Amino acid sequence: MRYAVYAEWTKLRTMPGPGWLLAGTVVLTVALSAVAASSVTCASAGCGHDAARIGLQGVQLGQATVALLAVLMVCGEYGTGMIRTSLVAMPRRTAVLAAKAAVLTGLTLAAGTAAVLGSVLAGRLLLPGSGFTPAHGYPPLSPADGPTLRAAAGSVLYLALIALLSLGVATAVRDSAAATGTVLGLLYLLPLAVRMVADEEAQRLLWQLSPASAGLAVQATTDAAVLPLGPWAGLGVLAAWASAALLAGGLLLRRRDA
Amino acid sequence: MEATIEVSGLRKRFGATQALDGMSFTVRPGQVTGFVGPNGAGKSTTMRVVLGLDAADEGSALVGGRPYRSLRTPLRHVGALLDAGALQPSRTARDHLLWLARSQGLGAGRTDALLERVGLAAAAKRRAGGFSLGMRQRLGIAAALLGDPPMLMLDEPFNGLDPEGIVWIRGLLRSLAAEGRAVLVSSHLMSELQDTAGHLVVAGRGRVVADTSVADLIEAASGGQVTVRTTAREPAMSALAGAGATVTVTGRDMLTVAGMAAEHVVRLLGDRSVPFSEVSAHRATLEEAYLDLTRDAVDFRGAAR
Repeated sequence: MRYAVYAEWTKLRTMPGPGWLLAGTVVLTVALSAVAASSVTCASAGCGHDAARIGLQGVQLGQATVALLAVLMVCGEYGTGMIRTSLVAMPRRTAVLAAKAAVLTGLTLAAGTAAVLGSVLAGRLLLPGSGFTPAHGYPPLSPADGPTLRAAAGSVLYLALIALLSLGVATAVRDSAAATGTVLGLLYLLPLAVRMVADEEAQRLLWQLSPASAGLAVQATTDAAVLPLGPWAGLGVLAAWASAALLAGGLLLRRRDA
Repeated sequence: MEATIEVSGLRKRFGATQALDGMSFTVRPGQVTGFVGPNGAGKSTTMRVVLGLDAADEGSALVGGRPYRSLRTPLRHVGALLDAGALQPSRTARDHLLWLARSQGLGAGRTDALLERVGLAAAAKRRAGGFSLGMRQRLGIAAALLGDPPMLMLDEPFNGLDPEGIVWIRGLLRSLAAEGRAVLVSSHLMSELQDTAGHLVVAGRGRVVADTSVADLIEAASGGQVTVRTTAREPAMSALAGAGATVTVTGRDMLTVAGMAAEHVVRLLGDRSVPFSEVSAHRATLEEAYLDLTRDAVDFRGAAR
């Protein structure tokens, strides 16, 4: 297992794609957070916005590059035939998937931490200019504040879980286009579709089951009580999705001819 | 661990195709075993099953007495070249060997020496995606040698190599076997294995058609016939026929002798003081012997349907 982790790390280190995707995760996350922090305005006290959530908005873009990295790690190998070389060198297939998951988690946590810290900093600098001032009831965004710290740390974990969900889906699906479509559909189309459900009860249930909507509940700091799920419970839903995807991918990887 | 590859009773069906139909053979250390047969005979599938890439429907494949998938650092036991194109094209040759080394708990030290050994030292920092098929084969062979394994399995390693490369790989295979390793080399062209393989496993339609030493195979295909050139045809004929051989006249001064080895013919004619200018055993080429075998196999299968 240690050798497999070392091998997977060496693979990622020796191709150009992963580095760019990780850098892209940081840049895109901070950029979108900065745009959100400077475009959403709070005109008066009690405007009802969640400043931390606005400051961490970029995670919704950063999750895409994290998902693409996961898909690249698996489908890139199937696309080139590399997977056969990998499985001849490492015939214990569960260990291969576990090693990929470990390396991916480590890299995503690192890039996610940088992205989230950058977003908090951008929010701290830009939000006051949009009316999120102490006078309107918004102290400067700071990781020293309990709920903000939870939202920030939760966002980093959210990115790591999205990566693992994508890794599981990619391993099960194998084809790059199909895996990308499935993951991006889960992340972006499902939340939109849920919003279009007319029945309120059904919408609430679907929201609770949707990985992106439920997972992002971890970012809520002011309206947590009115959300269909608490912050950690929401992240738990995403963790369940990631576990199920990895389990399915792992079982298929073990059973199938390569 | 004994360096023996054992395949027994493998069966594997892909949809309507019975790819393996009771494939059984053993690859022993110290010699090159040629694995030959027409395209579709099941050579690659057998190797994929041995390496744990495909699961057999029935039968077992063991390397050094163990299933491949139970090995923790398999490349230290078995070196394999299956498909030279199975690599990430944007990675350099050296980095390709590097991650493989890491996966076996090996240091980076061997990679440069190996690239040197297979003639790719100058291309070490080039992306493998830009390599010709011949260069990829060389890189694949470097990967197979990475763990200094006692067993090697190479699928069609001659493909894409230039004549110089073919000579090189023949020498390499012989020296690996001489070091006591078990070497299995598949090919659909018998001539490539001439002078290299000591033992042959001939496959046809998913099973073994012949499992024999190269010497025996050629002997059998040659039919044990000896050609004699002599000016004293009559005394020669009576001497040979008297000793139990079947003699036919094939020319003015030519006889074909069956049922007696060439050395025996020489001794007999010498003892009787019968003059002769040439005694030669008819030697089939490996190619002829192989074509005989596979033709029979195909005819038999065709008739059985």
